[in-house]
Amino acid sequence: MSVLDRLPSGRGDRALIAGLVCLLLGALFAVTPLRAQLPSALYVFVEVGILFVIYGILVLGLDLQYGHTGLVNFGHVVFFAVGAYATAMLTAQDTFAGIGLGYPWPLGLAVGVIAAAVLGAAVSLTSIRLRGDFLAIVTLATAEIFHSIFVNFENIFGGNVGILGVPRPIASLVSDSDTRLVATLLVLGGVTLVTLAVVTRLTDAPYGRVLRAIRADELVTRSVGKSTITYKTQAFVYGAALAGLAGGLFALYNGAVAPGFFTIQVTVTVWIGMLLGGAANHRAVLAGLSIIMGLRLISRFALNVTPVSSDVFASIRLIVVGLILVAVIRYRPAGIWGDPQELGVDQ
Amino acid sequence: MGLLQEIIFGLVTGSYIAIAAIGFTLIYGIVNMINFAYGEYISIGAFIGFLAANTLPGPLPVAVVVAMIGGGVVSIILARGFFTPINYTGPVPMLLTSIGLGIVLRNGLRLVGGRSARYFETETSTFQFDAIPDLPVGPVDLLGGFFVTSEQLVVVGSAVVVFASIHLLLTRTDVGIAMRAMGDDESLARVRGIDTQLIRDSVWVLAGVLAGLAGVLMAVQTNVSADTGFSHILQILSAAILGGAGSPYGAILGAYVIGLVLAVSTAFLPSSMTGLSSAVAFVILIAVLLVKPSGIAGTEVREA
Amino acid sequence: MPAKTGMLSDITERVDRRTFLTLAGSGGIAGLSGCIGFGGDEESGDGGGGSGGDGSDSDGGNSGDDAPDTIVFGQPGALSGSFDFLQPGVSQAADAAVRHINEAGGPLGAELELVRRDTAVDPQEARTVATQLVENDNAAAIVGLFSSEINPLWDYLQDLRTPIVTPWPGSTFLDTRGGDKGTPSDVSDDEWVWRTVVGDTVHTGGSAVYALEEGFETLGIINGNTEGERSYVDGFLSVYEQNGGTVAERVEVELGSSSYQSALSRLFDADFDAFLVSMPQESAITALSDWSDGGYGRQPILSDTLAQQAVIDQVGSDLHGAWVASPGRSGPSYDTFEDIYNEEGDAEINGWTPPSWDSVQITALAIERAGSTDPEAIQKNLGPVSRGEGTTVSTFAEGKEALANGEEITYRGAATPTDFTEHGNVFGSVTISTAESGGFVETTEVAAEDVREYVAEGEY
Repeated sequence: MSVLDRLPSGRGDRALIAGLVCLLLGALFAVTPLRAQLPSALYVFVEVGILFVIYGILVLGLDLQYGHTGLVNFGHVVFFAVGAYATAMLTAQDTFAGIGLGYPWPLGLAVGVIAAAVLGAAVSLTSIRLRGDFLAIVTLATAEIFHSIFVNFENIFGGNVGILGVPRPIASLVSDSDTRLVATLLVLGGVTLVTLAVVTRLTDAPYGRVLRAIRADELVTRSVGKSTITYKTQAFVYGAALAGLAGGLFALYNGAVAPGFFTIQVTVTVWIGMLLGGAANHRAVLAGLSIIMGLRLISRFALNVTPVSSDVFASIRLIVVGLILVAVIRYRPAGIWGDPQELGVDQ
Repeated sequence: MGLLQEIIFGLVTGSYIAIAAIGFTLIYGIVNMINFAYGEYISIGAFIGFLAANTLPGPLPVAVVVAMIGGGVVSIILARGFFTPINYTGPVPMLLTSIGLGIVLRNGLRLVGGRSARYFETETSTFQFDAIPDLPVGPVDLLGGFFVTSEQLVVVGSAVVVFASIHLLLTRTDVGIAMRAMGDDESLARVRGIDTQLIRDSVWVLAGVLAGLAGVLMAVQTNVSADTGFSHILQILSAAILGGAGSPYGAILGAYVIGLVLAVSTAFLPSSMTGLSSAVAFVILIAVLLVKPSGIAGTEVREA
Repeated sequence: MPAKTGMLSDITERVDRRTFLTLAGSGGIAGLSGCIGFGGDEESGDGGGGSGGDGSDSDGGNSGDDAPDTIVFGQPGALSGSFDFLQPGVSQAADAAVRHINEAGGPLGAELELVRRDTAVDPQEARTVATQLVENDNAAAIVGLFSSEINPLWDYLQDLRTPIVTPWPGSTFLDTRGGDKGTPSDVSDDEWVWRTVVGDTVHTGGSAVYALEEGFETLGIINGNTEGERSYVDGFLSVYEQNGGTVAERVEVELGSSSYQSALSRLFDADFDAFLVSMPQESAITALSDWSDGGYGRQPILSDTLAQQAVIDQVGSDLHGAWVASPGRSGPSYDTFEDIYNEEGDAEINGWTPPSWDSVQITALAIERAGSTDPEAIQKNLGPVSRGEGTTVSTFAEGKEALANGEEITYRGAATPTDFTEHGNVFGSVTISTAESGGFVETTEVAAEDVREYVAEGEY
């Protein structure tokens, strides 16, 4: 048997390998004198790409909750925010406002994930039994409450200024801006790919089958003897933990957190990405997210060629986004790559 | 200012939330969806009212009536276009569609209406009642001097008229009785020969009319802009669910609870936390949902 | 596994996977081609934006041998979002400045171009916009950005290494951050952010001084819970309380609320002579209308964003007599600015309009003195054209002429004398205006020197 045959070849494994390769490459750029050169016109794309891979972890978590288990979480951004704030507050040094404790960043990241998971557990403990759209309301209200808290308790969370002075591990290793961008993209992209692998493994396994059975018909699943509450809670918490991870990574990348980064726009973007790509298909949701974010990016450049003013343009862009959401639900509820039968959305 | 004044403020706030919440909850009970674009219906009502006030002769009430009619028309058009075709897909797709529609409408209003806020020309008179004794109980004055403005009276008055009309509608008219039947059990209602689609359309119109009225009332208090309604959607939602989703009487109760909580919490929270008053409303909503998911007056228990 | 669906989904999977991998692969190869190498060359020709120029630093006179045809300034703006009602004046001032500069021949003889992009006052958008302006539009400098964008993006902006000369931010965060730290030729300690508008610390200080002089010893406060609003109040209080004033009650409120009666009734339970209102326009109008309806009276002091006609119109005669302290509308060259500004259009002048003009003018002058459009060169020259004992000039035209004669210049701006401190901040006089039915009328002015007394050296 050749080496190629012995390489794992399941769907998730390919992503795992790709992810590890990216991490390795990124580490190479970060740690060694290896330098990359990036045409400056591409900077915007790489930066949006970095945001894309971070949001990608968010959408994978959401897909686990909704695509696979049927839980409607319309406050996903709150877990993102909690993870980011926890990481930031634990690791920031010399922040202008709010608390910064200055611990090392791996600890901060871990705490961020745990904090988001704990909040996820709290929310699910209380609301997992509610009907789908009620759960959406509770999660939305939770996001609003936390947003209010972050803004109002200025002494703790820094108010609108946020927490500054968060360490940026990659930036501190690399001083050349081109290489830094490339390294960041590779490292974070690697994490996303590894996440994709893990989530795929999880949902391919019998575990995933139970989740999908719950989404399809919870009553039946319960009658077969599966404790649906446990599975739903787990799925919700995992999704929340992933969002927390994304948040912590975001904080360590940006070097600061502020309420302006955690608005309902994030939730809407991630939801549209998931529905557009096709919920329950992990790679599809990533692709859907890339389409939505790509559209926004391209439309910025379109501003140069369109004869309308910028604020008109901004409104038009948002209208298009809203119409996409409506159209996807109406005409292609399974999303571009989703499987209508599997999702139970027969026309 | 004593508790009495705060209660008055709470009742005023509760009044226009109640008007909107009735429309919202009827949609929820009969069309079986959470309409997140309802805030935009309110804003559209405000815009129509504003246009009417500035182009048509006659006092403000004329503009209000026009806004109500306009609201009803817009509501049924949007419903036919966006919600009726997907009626049987379930509450979640409909909620998501309403979110998308809300984004479209809000930005459409911004495009058409422009960025700057518009204001209604109104004259308010204030009625002061200073001769009331304070009746202090601990650090709190129970009564004390208070004032009401003519605007506030109009709001509360409109709300009372709306409540009476809705009650009459639901108990004395065929349409209303059919609405209640559908709200209770849709399949049974259909078996009894009720044209469910016609009733659904009627509910949309009614909700639109109420949204138009609420829009003008809110705009008179603040201003006319694309965000007029959206900034209140969560409060309206909280009121409706608090009161028991689907029940108009519950929505009225829920709205006043929310209004009173907002007013009283602003008065009594420590001064560094007064910005949290709306978060308090949400906490109450969550608390009620967990303890009694059917809400205060609701009869059905919505479980997954 | 059922055969049919299994195969079907297999095929779709394979197609998906294949196309996915092909796209990713080819995209990756295209992107990577020629992009990897080992250390050695530091600043490659493409890194860091800016058009042309090799970073040749000249400390006087202009060599002009690398002069490009067009120079670009990037202006991130609030075309939508919370401050969009202030943007028209700011845009018009910048456009007027650009026109004036081009009519005078342009910096280094090139045409100056302004690229404006909307950030909606959102830090995430601002980040993308700034990158786009610098890398794609080749902006040599950025003449915009708000406090709520600069603060959370601080590290990113430092990495951008492009001068940011902005007319917007009042935040106290920037009091000790920014500028060249007094060492123009040494860029290593620089913090790249300069502001042509007086910081909150200063103009709120002026306002507090005036309040005390007028005998308002006790104060009530109602403010929004956003950063700009809080920062205004904090700046005001630091001077007010230090000089004998007392705060009787302070109420924080959310924005966009339909009624502020509860908050007002709580506030006015306390005893005070005057009350400070620090909220954005729309919410302030709601709050002040409620105040007027409630007949509470007492002296209103408004934050600077509220010096707008709409506020007086909507609240009515109860507001007459309220006063507002605005930063820098009376810099040395204000009249020159006003004439040129009014030719450009009729947007209302607000507290940020003259600083917008100043930011474009002084950056163009820095380029002229540097003789290059390299961002570092501009950064080194912002200090020298604003401070010191050179020939005073009020416009780019005068400055260009003086520099051509080999003189040093000091730019005197429309908003303030534009004397950058080591942290890239400016002092200016504070104008107190009182509300009357026709608008806000200038009542008095607290001179820049007087205000300077209240701010510690090195702290601004």
